[in-house]
Amino acid sequence: MRPRMLGAVLLLCASVAMGFASLVIGTENIELGTVVQEWRAGRPVADSPALSVLFNQRLPRTLAALLGGAGLALAGGVFQALLRNPLATPYTLGIASAGAFGAWIAFILSDAGWFVSGVLGIPSVQVFAFLFAGADVLLVYMLAARKEHSSPAVLLLAGVTMGMLANSGIMLTRYLAAPDRLVAMDRWLMGGVDVLGYRPVWTLTLGVAPCALVLLAQAGKLDQFGFSGELAAGRGVNIKWLQILTFSVGSLMTAIIVSVIGPVGFIGLIVPHAVRALTGPRHYLLLALSLVAGGGFLCFCDIIARKILPGETPIGIVTTLIGGPFFLYLLMRRKFTDWDA
Amino acid sequence: MSCQLIATEVSFAYERDKCVLNGVEATIQDGSVTGIVGPNGSGKSTFLRILAGLLHPDAGSVHLNDRALRSYSGRERARSIAFLPQSISPAFSLSVFEVVCLGRYPHSSAWGSLSAQDVAVASRALVQTQTDALRHRDFGSLSGGERQRVLLASILAQEPRLLLLDEPTSALDIHHQVEVMALLRHLCRDGYGIALVTHDLNLAARFCDRVVLLGATHCIVADGRPEDVLTGPLLSEAYGSTIRVGQHPFAPAPFVMATLPEGDGS
Ligand SMILES: Nc1ncnc2c1ncn2[C@@H]1O[C@H](COP(=O)(O)OP(=O)(O)O)[C@@H](O)[C@H]1O
Ligand SMILES: [Mg+2]
Repeated sequence: MRPRMLGAVLLLCASVAMGFASLVIGTENIELGTVVQEWRAGRPVADSPALSVLFNQRLPRTLAALLGGAGLALAGGVFQALLRNPLATPYTLGIASAGAFGAWIAFILSDAGWFVSGVLGIPSVQVFAFLFAGADVLLVYMLAARKEHSSPAVLLLAGVTMGMLANSGIMLTRYLAAPDRLVAMDRWLMGGVDVLGYRPVWTLTLGVAPCALVLLAQAGKLDQFGFSGELAAGRGVNIKWLQILTFSVGSLMTAIIVSVIGPVGFIGLIVPHAVRALTGPRHYLLLALSLVAGGGFLCFCDIIARKILPGETPIGIVTTLIGGPFFLYLLMRRKFTDWDA
Repeated sequence: MSCQLIATEVSFAYERDKCVLNGVEATIQDGSVTGIVGPNGSGKSTFLRILAGLLHPDAGSVHLNDRALRSYSGRERARSIAFLPQSISPAFSLSVFEVVCLGRYPHSSAWGSLSAQDVAVASRALVQTQTDALRHRDFGSLSGGERQRVLLASILAQEPRLLLLDEPTSALDIHHQVEVMALLRHLCRDGYGIALVTHDLNLAARFCDRVVLLGATHCIVADGRPEDVLTGPLLSEAYGSTIRVGQHPFAPAPFVMATLPEGDGS
């Protein structure tokens, strides 16, 4: 228990440090001294370059990375338990592809002059991404849940198939789109937390926070379900309800995140894995720390995207470049006998 | 206070028109071991799931202490009845102690954090099943016999009154079979009520107080003391083949043996 707790505290510190670093590091580094000075002096944000960069760009961007990364990592841990599969991610059920398909439809529609400006000030790309991701999840569920308990395998296969269908939809929209629009559309696919203003941050907060609380509260039941569904049922866990709840809330949260920051990959896969190596498989620690580490990891990737590679690299590329090799390392290091039951 | 689980006229079908249980009855009483036997596919596991409250009968009723089992909440039910399924396949590895602590679910908070009392009960369950030495081992690395004893410990940590066990000895060698059955007898003396599904009629004859015999037609063929139920004619009816019963050579119990139609020399 002791080393686990120490690891947990270190992880928490690292994530907080990433959040701070993400505030000050960028194309132009911000001097903390200057910020404090100008803040003390009561200068209006608009008059101070340092304050303006901090509050109008860095802070919303950092918050978006923290919230998006936290949510994706948590959803990954939950889906791995729900599908009883270590390679499950929040995107296994096709949410990312379906969301991307929706976003591309929105691009095409606006080019065709059917401009839908958005709902309640939320851009149409975001709205479409969310609606398509939601439709995907409903379809997957209807396909898989006709029996008393939906079998994880059927859920997984239905999700993978829906993802492939959405991908061919993306190909089709690509084919139909004006060539000069492809750059913008591709850019969306690569993801980004370079949000403008606080509206996306609010969307993320309202989407992630309640879902995360609901999912964290299922930790004990996920432990039971992961050990044995039937044994869990005998102990009074309502398996069907647990499946429906984690499936729908996890999907909702993922869909909201994807609609705002795009289908940023690998976080939902590697963060729960790395955290599991530290905490063991009990879900209360695993999920809580995945939340923390996910936020820190996406901040870290965003700093790299901004600073280390020339120009602004799309964050999805950074997470994949870091996440892929790291996952291979985890694969080689871990004994996987415990998963192949 | 005594604890009693009574199934009356239970019928069940997974799919319409494919009856798996047809008017089946049983009483599971604390302080006694009940064996549920019958041919493959006769519905033994299904019956045990219904007794455990995992499935609800299409007709008939199940009552726990004179109250309909269905009216209990899951956790409330689990504090009286523990159910061990036929096979389990954990999705990730836990230590033996963690596995046993999972049994505390019906008593613990939603977060799954453990109180000092939970830990004490889990430790006692380890001692009861003589698995204390395995406490820190990986559950996945245990032998079949050790696994079964640890699963029993995890069931006991639930502090139930009745244990419903689906083929608890079928994966074990002859020595471990007897060891687990002796443990169950011991628990029975401590006041637990036990119902177990088994294919080993001789084991049932030796260790059970009552035997419920299900037939291939999904009805009860006989229910009573082993020496009354495990007889040639009744077993032959249930299994639809010739089964001979004699006296066990060195134990006061019936000895059961199946024979082939043309006679296999026995
Ligand atoms: N989940 C299920 N869905 C549909 N049919 C089932 C299910 N489980 C068992 N059955 C069927 O019910 C019958 C009885 O099964 P079971 O209770 O497992 O028998 P036993 O344990 O006596 O071998 C079998 O014909 C089996 O195929
Ligand atoms: Mg069976």
